[in-house]
Amino acid sequence: MSTQTAPKTKPQIAFFDFTSCEGCQLNKLNLENHLLEILEHVDIVEFREAMDDKADAYDIAFIEGSISTPSCVERIHDIRRRAKILVALGSCAVTGGINAMKNLQPIEDVRETVYGKDKYLFPTLPAMPVSAIVKVDYEIHGCPMSIPEFLVVFKALVMGKQPIKPDSPVCVECKLRENECLYDRGMVCLGPITLSGCDAICPSFGQFCTGCRGLVPDANKNAMLDILTDHGLSLQEAEKRLLLFNSYKQPDTFK
Amino acid sequence: MNKHNLLLQNIPDFVAHLQTYGEVHAPCQKGENSFSFEQVTDPSRVVLDYARTLQSIRKYFLPPTERLLNFSLTDNTFTKVAIENNHRIFLGVHSYDMKAVLKLDFNFSHRTPEINYLKRRENCTFIGVSYEPDDYHFSRSVGITVENTEGFDLFLDRHENGYTVQVLTERGTEITKDFTALGEALEIPEISRQFKNKIKFNYNRLPEVMEQSWNSPVWEEVAQRCVGCGTCNLVCPTCYCFNMVDNVDLKLTDGSRDRHWDGCLLSSFAAVAGGENFREKLASRQRHRIYRKFKYITDKTGDPWCVGCGRCTAYCTAGISIVEIVNRLSDEFEQTHLRKSSAPVGQKIQGVSL
Ligand code: SF4
Ligand code: SF4
Ligand code: SF4
Ligand code: SF4
Repeated sequence: MSTQTAPKTKPQIAFFDFTSCEGCQLNKLNLENHLLEILEHVDIVEFREAMDDKADAYDIAFIEGSISTPSCVERIHDIRRRAKILVALGSCAVTGGINAMKNLQPIEDVRETVYGKDKYLFPTLPAMPVSAIVKVDYEIHGCPMSIPEFLVVFKALVMGKQPIKPDSPVCVECKLRENECLYDRGMVCLGPITLSGCDAICPSFGQFCTGCRGLVPDANKNAMLDILTDHGLSLQEAEKRLLLFNSYKQPDTFK
Repeated sequence: MNKHNLLLQNIPDFVAHLQTYGEVHAPCQKGENSFSFEQVTDPSRVVLDYARTLQSIRKYFLPPTERLLNFSLTDNTFTKVAIENNHRIFLGVHSYDMKAVLKLDFNFSHRTPEINYLKRRENCTFIGVSYEPDDYHFSRSVGITVENTEGFDLFLDRHENGYTVQVLTERGTEITKDFTALGEALEIPEISRQFKNKIKFNYNRLPEVMEQSWNSPVWEEVAQRCVGCGTCNLVCPTCYCFNMVDNVDLKLTDGSRDRHWDGCLLSSFAAVAGGENFREKLASRQRHRIYRKFKYITDKTGDPWCVGCGRCTAYCTAGISIVEIVNRLSDEFEQTHLRKSSAPVGQKIQGVSL
């Protein structure tokens, strides 16, 4: 591609947040080292965490958070209609994240616990990834979302290329770093079926992987459960570990 | 061949002496229970009694990640990244890891030579060391004894109080001649260390076994237990597959072409443009790995492409054992093919006894 002449109009990008801690958006503000360079390529037209402009159409819409209320559903449809490319940011948006743990209990109990007697004012749904409602073009994993991965996707989209979708597990990054496997230190770790891209940051610092980036495609969950139980966890405890970040898939995953 | 004696207490001095000839890289403690080849700064950290290192020394010649070239999108030019090849002395290498380097030499010098690999292979000195085979080593089954000295300049064979030092090349002579603490070699009866872990058949029969195993149920059974994490590839000293990625900077004007290790157990390894994946199923990827080690290259070279280091098994969190896979296939082969051909004989004998 030629970059000698800058495009006349910059792509318009927008950020939206749904059910989440907004940590991912804040993490983007941590991009400040790169922010000026980013703004050379795009105009940010909507970003509640940092500004309050609104726009009608977006070249790229970045979505943070999971879908968990009827109004979320309406809003995400509306954004999808106005966005050429839609990118899910961070675990909540990509997999439902830890929000989806609420799906493990009857929804009315959850509603009551959170809102008490006012629960009828607050309709709620099982927590869902964005892709459960609308078509998602690209996903950026991590809790919070990974900045390097955000930049890879961002650059590819601005250049009009397809970003490479990572699909190998955390163990790969551990091996590239020549880490001692935590299983050899008597720990258990979800790295074997968790999507890489974090540079195996947790195992590299002696902390087992809790699976925050979600599962690799076609993860062999039964084999993972066998590994966990062979290393001393009860089946119940093993399932609980797997569900922490992967509850959304619960109905067809373990039963 | 010259032999000397090296006492345990003189090893740090020996390491320091070697450092005058080049960078010394040797096994050091890594993590809590593991070892890793590292450049030695403190000779007292060198560990010569170890079972295996997390990665073999292939990491020096084919680094896990590597920048191949830098490019500019504004004027469509590129420059290759210079390869450094200082004098390096690898101390404390096991015979199977040395053999693995010799195999990679073959892979990377045939057909299109791999310039970066071959450049890094220059100026290397290898000092072998013996080891006690543990539950995972099975090198003997693929034709490599503990005491195999092929490829080494020096070989240190452990005895009670130290090592017998065999000088195998001129380079070996050069780096030992001024080290005065070497004593006269002791009269020690040659011992051949035993391996507990064994492949059932001689390795030269394995291509035949593999030939008959394409449709074996073993592949699917193994795939049930395997998570496809790629560890078995990434720790293997004879695996050499890599992937290449182009990265651009945030200005979108310059970038680099980088490569990193890849492995055939990973799901998208055999995926190509257009969305086709030639080995979508874990079972077919397992079969591919085993065939790479005992059939495909073996058919061409007559040698197994596995050195029996045991890493793929020791580091597999699912406890999948390569020896077990090969032995199960061999059992199957024996039952279906060997028995079948000998069946008439059995019947005849039965006939006679009737
Ligand atoms: S520590 Fe975890 S991620 Fe790393 S190799 Fe072991 S299981 Fe895999
Ligand atoms: S190692 Fe696991 S828990 Fe840690 S950041 Fe990576 S995916 Fe998340
Ligand atoms: S290391 Fe074990 S679990 Fe991982 S891909 Fe290899 S055989 Fe499968
Ligand atoms: S296949 Fe396994 S035992 Fe053989 S060389 Fe590779 S890692 Fe070692």
